[in-house]
Amino acid sequence: MEVLAPRTLAEAAEMLAAPDTRAIAGGTALQATWAQGAPRPARLVRLDALGLGGLSVADGMLRIGATVTLAGIETSPAVAQAAPLLARAVLDVGAPGVRRLGTLGGQLGWGAGCLLPALLALGARVRTEEQSVPLADWLAAPGRLALGIELPAQDPGPWAWRKVGLRAAFTPAVIAVAGAGGRLAAGGGVVRPQRLHTAEAALAAGAPDADLAVSIEAELEAPDCAFRSAAYRRRVAARALLAGLRGIAPAAAAAAPTPRPPAGTAPAGLRPLVRDTGRPDWHPRADMPAKIAGRAGYLTDARAPGMLVGRILRAGRPHARIVELDTSAAETMDGVRAVVTARDVPGENAFGIMWQDQPALCGEVVRYEGDPVAAVAAVDAGTAEAALAAIRVVWQDLPVIDDPEAALEEGAPALHSKGNLAGEVRLDRGDMEAGWAAAVHVVEDTYVTPRQMHAFLETEGGWCAPTDQGVEVHVGGQHGARDREQLARILALPETAIRVVTSPIGGGFGGKDELTVQPALALLALKARAPVRLHLSRAESVLAGVKRNPMRIRMRTGCDAEGRLVAQEVAALADSGAYASLSPAVLETAMEHACGPYRVPNVASHGRLAYTNNGAGGAFRGFGANQMTFAIECQMDRLAARAGLDPAEIRRRNLRVPGTPGYLGHRVAGSERLAEMLEAAASDPLWQRAGAAGTGVGMALNLQGNGLGSLPRDEAAAALRLAPDGAVEVLCGLDEMGQGLVPALQASVAAHLGCDRGDVRPVSGDTGAAPDSGSTSASRGAFVAWQAAARCAPGFAAEVLARAAARTGMPAEALRIVPGGVGEAARNAPEPLLRFADLAGALPEADLPHAATRFAFPKTEYTRGNARFIHCFGATLARVEVDPVDGTVRVTDLTMHTAAGPVIDLAAYLGQIEGGLVQGLGLTLTEDVAMRGARVVTANLDTYMVPTIRDVPRRLRVTALEGLDRDDPWGPRGVGELGIGAVTAAVANAVAAATGFWPAVAPVRPGAMLETREAAE
Amino acid sequence: MSERADRRGADWGAAPEPGGIFTKMKERDGAGRMAFVLDGEALSVECAPDRALTAILRETLERTATKLGCGIGRCGACTVLLDGAAVNACLLMAWQVEGRAVTTVEGLAADPGWAPLFDALAEANAFQCGYCAPGIALALAGLFAADPEAGEDAILRALEGHLCRCTGYASILAGALLARDRLRARA
Repeated sequence: MEVLAPRTLAEAAEMLAAPDTRAIAGGTALQATWAQGAPRPARLVRLDALGLGGLSVADGMLRIGATVTLAGIETSPAVAQAAPLLARAVLDVGAPGVRRLGTLGGQLGWGAGCLLPALLALGARVRTEEQSVPLADWLAAPGRLALGIELPAQDPGPWAWRKVGLRAAFTPAVIAVAGAGGRLAAGGGVVRPQRLHTAEAALAAGAPDADLAVSIEAELEAPDCAFRSAAYRRRVAARALLAGLRGIAPAAAAAAPTPRPPAGTAPAGLRPLVRDTGRPDWHPRADMPAKIAGRAGYLTDARAPGMLVGRILRAGRPHARIVELDTSAAETMDGVRAVVTARDVPGENAFGIMWQDQPALCGEVVRYEGDPVAAVAAVDAGTAEAALAAIRVVWQDLPVIDDPEAALEEGAPALHSKGNLAGEVRLDRGDMEAGWAAAVHVVEDTYVTPRQMHAFLETEGGWCAPTDQGVEVHVGGQHGARDREQLARILALPETAIRVVTSPIGGGFGGKDELTVQPALALLALKARAPVRLHLSRAESVLAGVKRNPMRIRMRTGCDAEGRLVAQEVAALADSGAYASLSPAVLETAMEHACGPYRVPNVASHGRLAYTNNGAGGAFRGFGANQMTFAIECQMDRLAARAGLDPAEIRRRNLRVPGTPGYLGHRVAGSERLAEMLEAAASDPLWQRAGAAGTGVGMALNLQGNGLGSLPRDEAAAALRLAPDGAVEVLCGLDEMGQGLVPALQASVAAHLGCDRGDVRPVSGDTGAAPDSGSTSASRGAFVAWQAAARCAPGFAAEVLARAAARTGMPAEALRIVPGGVGEAARNAPEPLLRFADLAGALPEADLPHAATRFAFPKTEYTRGNARFIHCFGATLARVEVDPVDGTVRVTDLTMHTAAGPVIDLAAYLGQIEGGLVQGLGLTLTEDVAMRGARVVTANLDTYMVPTIRDVPRRLRVTALEGLDRDDPWGPRGVGELGIGAVTAAVANAVAAATGFWPAVAPVRPGAMLETREAAE
Repeated sequence: MSERADRRGADWGAAPEPGGIFTKMKERDGAGRMAFVLDGEALSVECAPDRALTAILRETLERTATKLGCGIGRCGACTVLLDGAAVNACLLMAWQVEGRAVTTVEGLAADPGWAPLFDALAEANAFQCGYCAPGIALALAGLFAADPEAGEDAILRALEGHLCRCTGYASILAGALLARDRLRARA
C-alpha cells in the first residue's frame, strides 16, 4: 500500500483520480469496511495537510472542514450553539476513542454514518472545490472530494434526534432519525440516508399525529437485516420523530400497579455486600497491580527469541468433505517452519471432555465453519498468513443442518455415525393425568434462549514448546490435568511428557473448559521443533469457540385454585452444534432444574440435544440451569397472575422445604435457604416500591448446584508448603481466570493458619507445579480452595511449629502461626518471634514444612442420572423501564440476595455476583450469535453486543446470607454461576409487570415490546 | 523480529510540511520506516504503512502490555494515548502514528504522577481477569488529564467504548471515582 500526502487540492484530486485509491483522514470508517471484508485499496490519499480542519460560524452559517474530528464537533461551543442537534447527534457516533480519530469527511465518504441524518435535517450542503451542493445530492453522486460542510444555524423550534441501536452505547445503528426546521431525515447503518419530503409536507400542513406517522412509515426506505426488521425501523422512526418534534411520549399502558401484600421481614443475618475500600474485610487482590500495569503475564503475551507464530486454517464452510488438501506450496515458502494436517496427528485424532467426537485437525469432513483443517508455524504472522492462503483445499459441500428440530427429523443427514441425537434426558414422576385433572390454571409457552458467546476479552491462545520428553503447552484453560490427558491421547505421548500451564487467563466463563487451540499448537511445536505462539483474532475466536447451547423449552405448568403446583410438562431441545463437548451435561443440568426450586408432584420432562452445523456448543456459566430457570420462574409469575396471587405468595406455597429430595429424588445437602431468599426479596424495598407507569419490578429465585454431579469423577488434590524464600505456598491446580482464585486461596489459607494473606503465595494453573485439583468450573473453586486450606492447615501448622520450636527453644504448644511467621501463643496480636523467611532459610529443603490432601467433591449417592448434592441459593429482583419510543427494555435496578455459606473474600464474591448478573443481562437483552445457514453473522464485537458500562443498571445491589446449618460441613459454596442464574427470569417478569406481556424469547426483542405496547395504545 | 529483517527502508509517512514533497512508499510489500515516540523513547520501526499500531507494539516490538481484544476498535483493550488523547491502537495505522507520541500503559505506569490512578484501581479491585484494565487505565488518564473534576456521567461516557466481561462495571466506576479523588487531592 502507498500513502500519499498531497500538498494541494489539485494534487489530491489528481491522486484520487487514479484507480484503487481512497481518500483518508481518521480511517475509522474505512477500516470498518476492511474488517467486513472490503479489500484494502492500493493507495490512500491523506487529507490532513490540506487545510480542511477548520470549524467556524459566520453570517449565520456553520462551516466544518472535512478533517475535523467527531470529537472536535462534540467539544465545539460553536456547534453546541449553532446546531444543538448536531452536537447531540455526534455523541451517538462510535465511542470516544473512535470519535477522536474519525472525521466528518469519513462520515460523508462512508455514506452510512449515523451523523448523516442529522446533517440532512440541518440542511447541510457539501463544499467541493467547485461548488456547494445539497448533502443529499452529493451523497447520491459523491464524485467530488468533499472539503467540508456548511449549514445554516439551526432553527430555534423543536428538534428531534434519536439513534436506535442494539444496545445503549457504541452500537451499530438500527435507525437514526433527525428533525429540525421542518426537515425530516433518517439513515444509519443499513438505512440509506434520506430526507422524508412527503412527511415534511405533512408536517408543514399540520397533519394529525397519526397521519404524520403513517406518512413517515410509508416514505421511509428501510431494509430488514439480521437483527431488526424493516417494519420495526419504520415504526421507530415515526415514533421517534413524533416524540421529538411534537413532544408526544406515547402514553404508557396504564397497568394497574399491583398492590403488594404487607412486607415480611428480611432474614436475620442478611448482609449487604458493600464496596468500601476502607473496611477491614475489603482486600485488594494481589494480582491487581500487575494486571492494571499490563504486566500480568497472560499466556498470549509471551514473546521469546526464535518463537514462531502459528495460524490455523478454518473450514470457512459449515459442512463439507475434504476431497483434497494440498499443503505443498505452503511448506516450501520462505519462513515457514511447519505445516500440520490430520496426517500429522500421531495419536487419536479426536477430543472431547465427555466423548471424543471432535477432530484435532479435520482430515475427512468439516462440520462447522470453525473446524480446523491445517495449521502453520512461520517466522512471523505475515508469513504464516501467507502460508495459510497457499494451502489448497478441494471441497465437496455437504447438506447443511442449521436447525436442531430438522436435525432430528427422520431422514436428516447424520453428522456423526451415531446419528444426530447427541443426548436425551427423560424424567417422569407421579401421574400426569391426575395432575392435569387437578389443575385449575394452566400456562404454557416456549422459552427460547440464545447462542451466547463467552466473549472473554482475551481470546484463545498461548504458546507451546517442545521439551526433551515431549511438549509444554501454555494455553489458557480451565483444567490443566484434563487438557494434558486429552493432549496425551492426540499426541500419543505419556501424560508425564506433557506439562500444561493454563493461567492466568483473560476470562473463561466455561469457554476455555474444552480444548481450544492446544492440539494445533502442540502439533506445530513438535513438528517445527521450536516454540510456537498463537493468539486467535476475535473474528476467528467467534467462528471457532464454543458457545452457550441455544435452547427451546416448551413448558406447560398447572396449579390448583390455591396456586399449588400440580403438574408440569417440559420439552427441551438444545443445539449442540457440531460436536458434543460438554453439551450433554449442559442438557442434563438444565433438566435437573426443570422444576426450579419448587415441589411438583407430577412431572413429565424430556430433553433432547441435537447435532447441527451451527458452530460448536459447550460449557457456559450457568450450564443450562439459567435457561431452565428463565422458563420456570416466568411460569410461576404467570400462574400467580391467573390465580390472583402475589408472585411471592405463589412461590411461598410451592417452595422446596429443607429435607425435600432433589429433583431426581436424590439426597441433597442441608443449609437450604430458599425461604430466606424469598423473604429477602419480598421484603426488599425495590419489590415493595410501587412502580410508575411503564416500569415494572420482577422477581426470580434460583438454586445452583456446585460440582460436576454424581456421575463424573470429581476430586481435588492440593498442598501447602513453606517455600525456601519463606512464602507459604498453596499448591492448587485450579485456574485464575479473573474470578478470584488468588484471593480465595490466600484468604482460605490465612483463615486456617492464622497468617496474613500476604504471607500466602498461590501456585496454580500448572500441571508441572501444582496437583490436579479438578476443573475450574461448576462453581467448584470456592469449596475446593477452602477445603484445601482446611485439610492441609493442621498438618502444615504442626510442622511449622515443631520446626520453630526447635529454633526458638520454646515448646511448640506455646507457639502459633501469626501474620508474618511464628509468634507466642499466649499473646494477643503478637509480632512474629520467627519470620517465615528466617525459618525457611534455616531449614534444609527436605525439612521445609509440607502437607498435602486429596478429597472428593461432595456428591450424592444417586447414580441413575447426574445429580448435584450441594447448592447455593438466590433471589434476583430487577426493575425495568420499557422505552415508549423503541421498545427497548432498560434495567435500572438489579438486586440479588444470595446464600452460599460464608463469604471467603468479599470483593471476589461481590465481583462474581455482579459479573454474573451483568453477563446474564447481556443474554437477556442484547447477546446472540446470529447465524444464517449455519454461518455466523455476528462476526465480531461490532455486532455481537456485550453490555457496555452504559447498559448496566446504575443501582446494582448484592447481599449475602452466610450462615450454614449446624454441622453442615459443605461450605463455603461457590457463587461463580449463581449470579447469572435468575436474571433473565427476573427481567422478563419485570417486563410483564410493566406491560402485561411476558417475553419468552431472549434476547428480548424490542419489536415485540413495541407491538405489545401499540396493541395497548 | 523477522518482520524487521531484510526489508529496505524508505521514508514515508512524515506529516507533510506545507510546500514539501508528499511522502510516498512503494516497496513491493509496502514496507517503510516509521518514527515515533513510544513511552518517551524515540523509535523507528520498519513496517507497512497500514500496519496497525497494535501489531507494531505486540508483534514488531514485542511489547505486550497493550492488549488486543477485537482488532476493530470495539472493545477498547488496546487503548493508548496518542499525544495525550485516548484512542484505539488497533485503529491507528502506522502512517497515522508517524511523528506522534504514543503512551502505553507501560509509560503511564512509569510516571509517578499517575500512581494514584493505579493504586486506586487496585484498591477498589476494579477488575477481575484484568485484560481490559490497561486500556481502561489509559482512558481514565486521558479523561482526568483533560477534566480532573470529571463526574460520574463523564466517566461513564469516557468508558463506553471499553468492554469488561468480568465485572458488572460497578467496581470500575468505583475505582475511577476513587482515582479521581486521589488525583485531585494530590494536585
